[in-house]
Amino acid sequence: MSDTKVIMALFKDPDAVANSLDKLRAEGISDHDMVVISGVPYPAQVLGRPMVWEKLPWISLTGAAIGFMTGIFLNAGTPLLYPIHVGGQALIPIPPTAVLTYELTMMGLIISTFLGVLWESAFPSFGPKYYDPALTHGRIGILFQCPTQNEDELQEMLKAQGAERVYHPERRPL
Amino acid sequence: MSSESAAQNPSLVWPEEEDHSEHLLLDPRPVEEMHGILLDAMQRTGRGFWILVSFLGSLVLIGLVGAWGFQIRWGMGVAGIRRPVFWGLYITNFVFWIGISHSGTFISAILRIFKAEFRRPITRASELMTTFSLLVAGMYPLIHLGRTWRFYWMVPYPNQRQLWPNFHSPLMWDMLAIFTYLIGSTLYLFLPLIPDLAMARDHTKGWRQKLYRIFSLGWRGTEAEWHHLKLAITIFAFAIVPVMFSVHTIVSWDFGMTMKVGWSSSIFGPYFVTGAIFSGVSAVITVLLLVRKSMKLDYFLRAEHFDSLGKLILVFSFAWTYFFFADYLTEWYGGEAVGQQLLTLQARGPVAPLWYLMLVCNIAIPWLTLWNRRVRRSTVGLFVVTLGVNVGMYIERYIIVTGFLTRNRLPFDWGVYNPTIVEVLISIGSLSAFILFYALASRIIPLVPVWEVREGQISHTLRRIGRAMVPSVADLD
Amino acid sequence: MSAATGEHDWTMIIDLDRCTGCQACVVACHAENNIATVGEEEVIRGHAMHWIHIERYWEGEYPHVRARFLPVLCQQCERAPCEPVCPVFATYHSVDEHLNIQVYNRCIGTRYCANNCPYIARVFNWFNPYVPEPLNEQLNPDVTVRSRGIMEKCTFCVQRIRRVEETAAAEDRPIHEGEVQPACAQSCPTQAILFGDRLDTESRVANLTGSRRAFRLLEELGTEPAVIYLKGGETYVE
Repeated sequence: MSDTKVIMALFKDPDAVANSLDKLRAEGISDHDMVVISGVPYPAQVLGRPMVWEKLPWISLTGAAIGFMTGIFLNAGTPLLYPIHVGGQALIPIPPTAVLTYELTMMGLIISTFLGVLWESAFPSFGPKYYDPALTHGRIGILFQCPTQNEDELQEMLKAQGAERVYHPERRPL
Repeated sequence: MSSESAAQNPSLVWPEEEDHSEHLLLDPRPVEEMHGILLDAMQRTGRGFWILVSFLGSLVLIGLVGAWGFQIRWGMGVAGIRRPVFWGLYITNFVFWIGISHSGTFISAILRIFKAEFRRPITRASELMTTFSLLVAGMYPLIHLGRTWRFYWMVPYPNQRQLWPNFHSPLMWDMLAIFTYLIGSTLYLFLPLIPDLAMARDHTKGWRQKLYRIFSLGWRGTEAEWHHLKLAITIFAFAIVPVMFSVHTIVSWDFGMTMKVGWSSSIFGPYFVTGAIFSGVSAVITVLLLVRKSMKLDYFLRAEHFDSLGKLILVFSFAWTYFFFADYLTEWYGGEAVGQQLLTLQARGPVAPLWYLMLVCNIAIPWLTLWNRRVRRSTVGLFVVTLGVNVGMYIERYIIVTGFLTRNRLPFDWGVYNPTIVEVLISIGSLSAFILFYALASRIIPLVPVWEVREGQISHTLRRIGRAMVPSVADLD
Repeated sequence: MSAATGEHDWTMIIDLDRCTGCQACVVACHAENNIATVGEEEVIRGHAMHWIHIERYWEGEYPHVRARFLPVLCQQCERAPCEPVCPVFATYHSVDEHLNIQVYNRCIGTRYCANNCPYIARVFNWFNPYVPEPLNEQLNPDVTVRSRGIMEKCTFCVQRIRRVEETAAAEDRPIHEGEVQPACAQSCPTQAILFGDRLDTESRVANLTGSRRAFRLLEELGTEPAVIYLKGGETYVE
């Protein structure tokens, strides 16, 4: 892979980013080799980018199912381990089971959603990555990989599209 | 024709050109400036701040170390609780702080779901209140326990005693609900905070940068990261709203499940939830006014936000009054003899002065003032009204918990309750702990979600319809 | 009425016609069950720890007043409201003997049970018990001395029930009528308190349960108490 270069282009305007992405695609850079980095979320359709397939809802649902089963075990399982009768109520009371199973389902959902985000975004990761602090100051960056021979041509094109700065970023620890 | 008649008839008035720059979302400033406002506010720790911190710190030490330690050493008898009032100020405080914790979730999650745009700058500050008030609330069951050091016997885990806790008990529901809510609201506070922490990481130095670096988890702001984050926030918003409702409902069920007249009421769930949101949102206003004043965040926290929140308070005052009256009327009309005595207790008994003060704070003052736009936009006016609401709501819980316990079916079991200095010191200590946590956090955590504000500013524009420039929102989600 | 199931159905009959409000039962109960005495000051602060209260009600207007006495102790309810609310099973139901059991070791002191008892029969240890010499010699070795922060209540002198049960089992015979005597019944000078097994149909408690004078305290709540009162018409003290 010695004949590819990593280039970062910083923009101010989302329109310019969308246009540049189109031009890059026309130059044969695939969507996999491009990443848009911004300080504000721009929906994929604004930038004209393919959507990412989400596993997160499934992770959340799995967590909720685990929570649900924990709730059922605590309410219907533990009284059988050590039966104790109280207040003339059934050993396995249904209405309180509903309350607790609900809470534990929600707890499972919440915890798994959080862990799911971390998992999906591979957080935490402090290792060296291509990044520029100007990105949190309102710039939108296109980070892409291109063959070395195209480099100059692409840089010129991006500047013509309105890029403030086009350069070879360095990996830096975050 | 219309202009002629307007000239002849002085009662016709031309609409004034509206000044749209009073809307935060239509008044964008350079990003650097917005970040600067926030980062400066966080790093400003003058002498006044440290004096406040040490003052609050000593109150926390006196209340939560001194007074609580004294109570653990000698026994619950040092508190004012007595037969038949077995629950006192601690449970009152517990219910009160759980109520305050409804602020953040309500403002943040419900308003997010309904896309109420005025929420954008205030979500973080109110979510932070949720987390800290839950921590304070969670302390009270421990303070209240006769054998605090055995609190873990309520935790369901396989243990050497071979005994699982009793899931019939509303206290178990309560514990698990609060635990769920605490985890949920803390994570819900943290998720939208990550991009702001990354922002702070990029523009601070020294220990702050190290701290923000760890907690921003390596955030860069790539499309995939944003996508996952926004999806997770949406899932959280939908998940945490029902949890919020369940938490205060279950707190009310601690009372509702008993055989006590006045407590055993099926309306307690919605009544308590409404009261909690009423007091929680009021507390948010009180805190935001103080934050704006002390941290110079006038750019982000504007009259329009307090105006909207003020309207919410008025609506919840109506709702609370409705539930209060429904509960009162039922007892008044056909209740048991003890129920009638509870009404007498409130109207003419020892708690009567408090009861009337509650009616004034929760009903009279909000109804008489908050319909007025000028009150909703005035710092002092709104501060007094919202502080009053929380005084009123505290009294409500005090009467329900301690007042109702003084009247029982057998007249021999009537009693009185007066808090002791130990209970008062612990209560002051926990209030100080809340303010202290909040003050310290306000210097570490970006109190305004800048990225959400900027996202809102991007989607808000002025559009010409006919002769007027009208604010319009692009739905970017 | 509880169903006639289990090994025993321990029942107490309190004849209000016979009760003179002398408080002998209260003292006997304190002595038998190692109940702490707290002193005058703490009693004024509402921290008295009697397991039986002699509730005194006045009738009429001064000077024509009359006192009525109602001894109230734990009613050992069949459907006890105190039991389900305890998060740690410190109080539960003995299905075999129809007793409401309090396990001191499990109690963490939420005091939820005390709030939910319509008879306010439960007692909390506000402080550690103060047992000055030589009163420690008087402590009953069969009963725990409770520490601060836990709930307690009338047990129907469960230690005496157990002792009789064990003796009877060792001698391979049924328990005789009147063999189990809680301290209060034993010490009552007018024999207003009777104790026995309702499952033994020949016993006095079983007979008196059906008396026309019989009623249960706050019967309308459906707690099904095991303490049965006999209405008093004549017990007035002027």
